[in-house]
Amino acid sequence: MQLVISNKNYSSWSMRPWVLLREAGIAFEEVQLKFDDRGRAKGVERYSPTARVPVLVIDGESVWDSLAICETLAERYPEKQLWPADARARRTARSICAEMHSGFQGLRGAMPMNIRSRYPGKGLTPESRRDIERVVQLWTSCRSNHGADGALLFGRFSVADAYYAPVVTRFQTYAVSLPPAAQAYCDAVLGLRALREWMDAARRETEFVAGDEPYATHHR
Amino acid sequence: MQLIIGNKNYSSWSLRPWIAMKVHGIPFDEERIPLYAAGSKERILRHSPAGKVPILKDGATTVWDSLAILEYLAERKPRLWPRDAAERAKARSIATEMHAGFPKLREHMSMNVRKRYPGKGRTPEVLADIARITAIWADAKGPFLFGEFTAADAMYAPVVLRFRTYAVEGPNRGYMDAMLTLPAMREWIEASEREPESIPGLDTDE
Repeated sequence: MQLVISNKNYSSWSMRPWVLLREAGIAFEEVQLKFDDRGRAKGVERYSPTARVPVLVIDGESVWDSLAICETLAERYPEKQLWPADARARRTARSICAEMHSGFQGLRGAMPMNIRSRYPGKGLTPESRRDIERVVQLWTSCRSNHGADGALLFGRFSVADAYYAPVVTRFQTYAVSLPPAAQAYCDAVLGLRALREWMDAARRETEFVAGDEPYATHHR
Repeated sequence: MQLIIGNKNYSSWSLRPWIAMKVHGIPFDEERIPLYAAGSKERILRHSPAGKVPILKDGATTVWDSLAILEYLAERKPRLWPRDAAERAKARSIATEMHAGFPKLREHMSMNVRKRYPGKGRTPEVLADIARITAIWADAKGPFLFGEFTAADAMYAPVVLRFRTYAVEGPNRGYMDAMLTLPAMREWIEASEREPESIPGLDTDE
């Protein structure tokens, strides 16, 4: 099984299934295709008809799109309980992942993922503020309704945490000030072994992708 | 179960779970909230803090977002996805590609079931989206993408209606006909035509 990803510093969609696989302890081969100047992963058309990362290659077949990958993995590895075992929690987990999957354009646009950089206070627009409020509302509600068994959204680690992990790194990059419960959740995610490993690799990357760097004042 | 939807004429996200439930014979009560009207936002927020339709309520719990609803339903009706694991993975890829993609098609060819705007909206980005959809539908096993009607078809049902409104010819005609002649689709279309509301800005008659 191969997971095709792009730059660890920038590619938030790549990060989701990678963190899921790593944190769940599922073995896979990583194929990294770095972005070109236009933000396209070089050579990805060999793996996916959409020419986008991430792609999971499983038994020679491509599964594209981060959410389809997560669902497919959850089905292939039931013993890992990648979705919460409780039916009601699972419904909520699926809803918040789907909401992330097609939403939060304000946050994504104004605060692109950039793990190695720090831009405190940048990217706060009316739209991104509204998205941040909604994220905080979601996290707080999941933590208080479903989070009793641990420090994560549904207690123990699930797809939902992998799905919101890039948002956690954004809040760090842009120094978004959060209510204590939301900040505690961020800290728990940042402490996950898979997160630390991904972020360490991101900090070692040297490529500069202009389209993801609206706040850079100089090229590295 | 209760499905909360928007206007049938305009709300493409509402059509997706609605048609999946109809085709697969899953009984539900429907609550229609006309969008962009006085009080509609408040009515939606009473059902779900995400503030968007569609919303599925089952007993005390709420599922929001079309794709999450389809996955929830598929846990009870496994036939909503193809039986074969590899086909199921492909169906999910196609469905999620629709869920987060094709923004230009959605913007320039917004769903408007009862109107006809032949030739309108064909920007270069929209044509690229149409080319990608044409490629996806070209692989259809027939009559639907994976033979029987699955959640992947539910995700593309509104695109069929858009291509009808904007007279996009070329993509798999047999697939479009199969979709348009489904009794559930005809029911949706007829209800759209009877809806009294018109949303200014979405009805751009020229």
